[in-house]
Amino acid sequence: MNKKYVMLTIGIMCFLLTVGICIQVKTISNTNTTGISKNATENKLRDEVLRWKERYDNAYKQLGETENILEEERKKATEDNEETTQMKDELNKINKLLGLTDVKGEGIILIVDDNKDADSNILDQNAAVVHDGDLIEIVNILKNGGAEAISINDQRVVSTTAITCDGSVVRINGEKVGAPFEIKAIGSQERIKGVLEMPYNYIYWMGADGIDITIRKVNSIEIPKYEGIIKREYLKDR
Amino acid sequence: MNLKGKWTITVVMGIVCFVLIAVMFMQFKTVNQTDITSIEIMRESELRSELASWKSKYEDVQEKVEENNERIEEYKQGTEDNVKATQLLEEELNQAKTSLGLTDVVGEGVVVTLEDNDTPPDYYSEDDVYDGRINVYDILQLINELKLAGAEAISINDIRVVDKTDIAWVMDTYIVVDGVRISSPYVVKAIGNQTALESGLMQKDSGYMDKIINAEDKKATVQRENEIEIYKYDKDWDTKYIQEN
Repeated sequence: MNKKYVMLTIGIMCFLLTVGICIQVKTISNTNTTGISKNATENKLRDEVLRWKERYDNAYKQLGETENILEEERKKATEDNEETTQMKDELNKINKLLGLTDVKGEGIILIVDDNKDADSNILDQNAAVVHDGDLIEIVNILKNGGAEAISINDQRVVSTTAITCDGSVVRINGEKVGAPFEIKAIGSQERIKGVLEMPYNYIYWMGADGIDITIRKVNSIEIPKYEGIIKREYLKDR
Repeated sequence: MNLKGKWTITVVMGIVCFVLIAVMFMQFKTVNQTDITSIEIMRESELRSELASWKSKYEDVQEKVEENNERIEEYKQGTEDNVKATQLLEEELNQAKTSLGLTDVVGEGVVVTLEDNDTPPDYYSEDDVYDGRINVYDILQLINELKLAGAEAISINDIRVVDKTDIAWVMDTYIVVDGVRISSPYVVKAIGNQTALESGLMQKDSGYMDKIINAEDKKATVQRENEIEIYKYDKDWDTKYIQEN
């Protein structure tokens, strides 16, 4: 009877062992296939991304060239006519207001950064990080102060600009942008500094929460043009 | 014989146990490996979305290049004719004005209505502080989400929202858009692709309705409409600090 008991125990253990080995082999074969094919798929995707990025860069360069030729043609067509020259100037002014040109002028540069002090007694670590909502409100305050052109880390803020946070990554105009955020604004230095430094405003509380903020007047700020396309697909003039 | 037998059995069982434990270790390690594979799966979906983004950026730019080339041809053909030049310029000027917000426009889109909510939900006790008022951040977030979803024209209570439009919150009570005070209900109109606009706002967890409105028990509705009218921005708009070339 003892022998039977022992035999049974060994039998069960062998069975478990066999099951264990089978599961192991199956898992390995799954991982290996997924592992190998994932790498191949990824490499293919990476190549495609690079190819389309190159196509985009070429097309963008072409766009710049056509804009120059177009401006030349407009000049030629309006040379002798005062009325049309005025129209051409108005068109250029509107393109400037749309944010489609590089601009230069006096204004304010504001830098906001996540709290760097690791062992400070900041109660709320989340509030000490710059969020999309903060940037949205800062842009709003600058507009209230009459800013004529605004950029964040050289991303031009235009009428279609959205500022979002997916996870820990901030995107402006769809492009990834990271802290520290250098916000440039061309306009009246007095007026813009005034609205930024109003007592107990949003920016004041950002500072109180631990965000690093510096504000300085700069006399020659350069803000680049918007590099995307402003679309009019759904608008119909009434 | 009996003792030898016992030993054999013990040794065999020992070996089997050892192998079993070894197998279990390998199993755990493989499962760990599989988690790393799931990160690589994430990289694949990130790559796919990057690919889609470059493709769409390329298509937008290509479209503009073609538009520009057509215009260049029209100008070249019309060089002899002054009338033609005026016509072309007028067309370009009107398109630019429409983009800037200087014209009345109409199109499909959504209408979002935000309303101050004076009735606290049931689970608020009398001692809890409840503020169902729409504040300036609610409106700024909404405008941001509409832009993200491709809104091409936006108005709040029929005030056109253009690039330089600011929204102020005076004394934490009054909402002031471009210097004009407005009050609840706030009717925000947006022209763009209806599906993109609506689904963007209604997206679970990350969309405006879930994130801002439902999370804070505020009152808001989203309505698709086919002929939304948005009026032009008609105030002075020029620059004083941008240096002219």
